[in-house]
Amino acid sequence: MTDAPPHAIEAEQLTKRYRRMAAGFRLRTLKSALLEGTLTRGLRPEEAIVALDSVSFTVGRGEAFGVIGANGSGKSTLLKLVAGLFKPTSGRLAVAGRVAALIELGAGFHPEISGRENVYINGAMLGLNRREIDQRYDRIVEFSGLEGFLEEPVKNYSSGMYVRLGFAVAVHTDPDVLLVDEVLSVGDEEFAHRCLRRIQEHLVSGGTLLVVSHSLDLVESLCDRVLWLDRGRSRGIGEPRRMIDAYRQQVAAAEGEKHLAEKDARAAEAAAGELAEGVTVGGEPADGEAEVLRWGSRQAEIVGFRLLVDGAERYELESGAEVTIEVEVVAREVLEDFVFGVAISTPRGIECWGTNTDLGGFVSQRLEGKARASVGCRSLRLAAGEYEVDLAVHSRNGSPYDYRRRCFRFTVTSRSGDRGVGVYAPEHRWTFAGGARLKAPTPPGTASG
Amino acid sequence: MAGNLTRLTQHRGLLATLVRRELAARYRGSALGFLWSLVNPLLLLGVFTLVFGYLLPGGRGPSGRGLGATHPYVLFLVAGLFPWTWASSSLLEGTMSLSANSALIRKAVFPIGLLPLVAVLSNLLHFLLAMPILLGALVAGRLLGFPVLSWQSLWVPLVIALELVLLAGTVLGLAALNVHFKDVRDLLANALQLLFFLAPILYSADNIPWPWARRLILLNPFTPFTEAFQDLLFFGVPVAWGAWLHMTLLALVAWVAGSWLFRRLEDTVVEAA
Repeated sequence: MTDAPPHAIEAEQLTKRYRRMAAGFRLRTLKSALLEGTLTRGLRPEEAIVALDSVSFTVGRGEAFGVIGANGSGKSTLLKLVAGLFKPTSGRLAVAGRVAALIELGAGFHPEISGRENVYINGAMLGLNRREIDQRYDRIVEFSGLEGFLEEPVKNYSSGMYVRLGFAVAVHTDPDVLLVDEVLSVGDEEFAHRCLRRIQEHLVSGGTLLVVSHSLDLVESLCDRVLWLDRGRSRGIGEPRRMIDAYRQQVAAAEGEKHLAEKDARAAEAAAGELAEGVTVGGEPADGEAEVLRWGSRQAEIVGFRLLVDGAERYELESGAEVTIEVEVVAREVLEDFVFGVAISTPRGIECWGTNTDLGGFVSQRLEGKARASVGCRSLRLAAGEYEVDLAVHSRNGSPYDYRRRCFRFTVTSRSGDRGVGVYAPEHRWTFAGGARLKAPTPPGTASG
Repeated sequence: MAGNLTRLTQHRGLLATLVRRELAARYRGSALGFLWSLVNPLLLLGVFTLVFGYLLPGGRGPSGRGLGATHPYVLFLVAGLFPWTWASSSLLEGTMSLSANSALIRKAVFPIGLLPLVAVLSNLLHFLLAMPILLGALVAGRLLGFPVLSWQSLWVPLVIALELVLLAGTVLGLAALNVHFKDVRDLLANALQLLFFLAPILYSADNIPWPWARRLILLNPFTPFTEAFQDLLFFGVPVAWGAWLHMTLLALVAWVAGSWLFRRLEDTVVEAA
């Protein structure tokens, strides 16, 4: 991209507010629509939902631009604004050339009439005249792979066929700007590849692309630049790798907070459970789930636990960080035969690591009153993902005093941006020799505007 | 208004396609297809002939405005009723067209103002398809010696054109309103019943003894159109200049007001639909 190319999309301080359409506001809604030609001007803050807040960006002609963010971050609103479906509340938006939006493909299809007739109607709605559709018809059918079904009413199509036909029509309108929502995930693998090839062709021939997707890999592989939206605000625009890593880190941090809250809630529940136990003499725990997640004689009881990352209580960490799992127990009687155990597994139940004091070679001597056991790992090399921790105190022959499953969860992120699969992530390095040449990944940095 | 008109001409291809879609979808899968749109007018014609020709004592309906022993009431009735069916179903379907297609207009970028017009046009086609039955009945009446039809009947297309403008303007406005304010539909359904009896379809305005009631009937925008159809088709007399002016004025006012309202609400319709 050399000296300031003409822009395909220019957005300046783009803001979109929706009016809350709760019951009882109908008349007022109508009044403001009639008098001001807008639903949102002069709204009090509690009456409006801000979907996009002063977002600015430009997309150059021929550029592939991605938008990432959580659900409700404003991605779809942005796409609808660029498509021209919605009008911005304030700010400026200019889109050059013909736009084809691959949002809700086949939205104009009428279920009762044939695929062929729907191709013509859909094409007309996308701005083609009859002759232009005639010229493209064979290519559209070939691309959709639906030969032999075109005379059937589309209500008999599968959802995949529906999308295939919709995509085929949309991409054959020869748009200057192609807007892509989460559509590639609908068709089968083969069709997804065909769509991707078509998108690549569109880019190669100088077309512009705007992609909104939760598939970060897709965004990274397709896009030149990425905009990260967070609750309607821009968190930065930049090189895909950098923005995606920044986004992933934020997601992990949010998950860590959630794990902490869950852990606290569970601790509170456990405290309440203790009270209840005081009255049910020798009874089974009433709650079925509690029974599965916790069992044992309770001669010793686990009353608290924490995950410490680099010395502070946290539930998200980078792979390879120093962690300590801490467990607090109270012995109801003096015990001489006891083992502390800990196990880490994935939410799907794959055991990653487990150990206990017995396996570690420690010999129990005396457990009395309040006690605390900690196991520290200098470097916990788990692969990125979510994990669960089980904790236990039991006798050497295995009969449990208190066995607690899924005490807490934590999230591991990968430091290098390397997204290897599995549960274990050893420190590793690639080297190449001979005829193999690869471009090194750009080192992840912090996101900034 | 002018802006709406230019857009209309730009998108006439799409408009035609959408009307075709509407008709194709309506008759898809039925063995008789479009013949069904002939069944209802034929049925009406048959029932009215039976009821007013043989069952009801007197059998000739009200007299006045030339109505009497020389004119069969059933032909008078259908000359006013067929156009009314077009008007009322256009208004009802057109008003619902935006809110009923919310899934479409929220997802596809196209001039949404076409949808109300599609409703009016597809119903116009049904009306035109029923026209041969109406004309056939009138010709039969003429052959039986009743003085119906004349060269004046050739002015009917102009009345249809004026009523088309009236209906198009009205549904544009009502459809946009209905998206924000769903009561419009119920309001309209009731208003249409009232307007039906306030239009001289079942009776002739000349039969009404009270002047205030005649004035009330003249306030109904469909009165001049109904009378024009009756004049041209049934009585075979020319439409008075005042009536032409009246219809033109109504059509213009409806178009200007309706498309102003639509313009005003257009941007908000997509979000609220």
